[in-house]
Amino acid sequence: MTQKTRPKPGGKDAKSKATLWWIVGGVVGLGLIVALAASIATEPEVDASIGFGDPTVEGDPLPVYAAGTQDVAIGLTAPTVTGADWEGNPVSIEPNGNSKIILFLAHWCPHCQNEVPVVQEWIDTGNLPEGVELISVVTATDRSRTNWPPQDWLEEEGWTSPSVMDDQIGTVAANYGMAGTPFYVVLDGENTNLGRISGEIGVEGLNALAALAQSG
Amino acid sequence: MSAQTILFFNNFFAILTVIALVGAVGLLVFRMVKGPEAATLLGDKAVWLAWVVALVATVGSLMYSELFHYVPCRLCWFQRIAMYPLAIVLLVGAIRREAAVKFYAIPIALVGLVISVYHNVLQFFPSLEGTSCDPLVPCSARSIEMFGFMDLPFMAGAGFIVIAVLLAFYTKAEE
Repeated sequence: MTQKTRPKPGGKDAKSKATLWWIVGGVVGLGLIVALAASIATEPEVDASIGFGDPTVEGDPLPVYAAGTQDVAIGLTAPTVTGADWEGNPVSIEPNGNSKIILFLAHWCPHCQNEVPVVQEWIDTGNLPEGVELISVVTATDRSRTNWPPQDWLEEEGWTSPSVMDDQIGTVAANYGMAGTPFYVVLDGENTNLGRISGEIGVEGLNALAALAQSG
Repeated sequence: MSAQTILFFNNFFAILTVIALVGAVGLLVFRMVKGPEAATLLGDKAVWLAWVVALVATVGSLMYSELFHYVPCRLCWFQRIAMYPLAIVLLVGAIRREAAVKFYAIPIALVGLVISVYHNVLQFFPSLEGTSCDPLVPCSARSIEMFGFMDLPFMAGAGFIVIAVLLAFYTKAEE
């Protein structure tokens, strides 16, 4: 006659049973997490071209800007850009006799997110001089990054300046030698580069750029 | 990789992060309430759980860079340098049932945690590292934003915390 033996608490059988429960619990838990993650991942497929334009660029590119040094591109003619904003309205950066401040922005860049409201308030309070245009170039757009699409962000900020939407490879930014965002380029009426600067510059910096643009 | 797939994995890792953090806090509270006997709750499974956390974090970070094409920034690399060895060291320690694994793993996890904390602070205060964004891989820009605050460095930091807490329990169990 055989006698059944109870597994000792803490014995080999009990340990195997406990391990089995851990594995079963882990698999069930993982399944629940997957189900929950799938149920809230309900973003509809979107048009991948949103946030990009198809600008044309004519002229020699400016060399890449090196922060903290004298801009070697001062005096060079910046390329002419013909593009459009997010609604398809034509916007160009061309030698039309008006001085210009060109501002390159990336939607995911926290410094751009800080700078845009400062610039808009500066414009709203009448600081942009007569005869000087401020044109933004929306570049480095990336569907997978935060604060997308850029036009929603700019509209929320009440952005009033004309904007050129750069293409997927950042053609306009590359031709203007952008090294970081936000990135400013000041041009005279003939598209001659008067100076470039990268980073948040605030109201004081904007006043300095406006004065530089007027001098051109 | 479609945006829908990336969103699924963002959700998946975000939910895992929350559960792991809640679990770690629960363990600490349990330890405070129950005293040293709480250490027997997990026994030597604590080091296996810590290894699972390190493995999921390692696989997850590789998925983001190699499948979803998120280029890791400088600080992300430092956190990877801390997390990736843990996936190996903890496995070896778990298989060999070596209590000494804590002496190697906890310091690595704490170094990783310090970098994660700095990375999170930098994302809230980008001016700490200059005034402009590198157009390719800025440390100050968020790659994803889950539940309004959670980015990849937050998930990494949570992973380091959970690993350290689990290993602290493993230590107690061995004593």
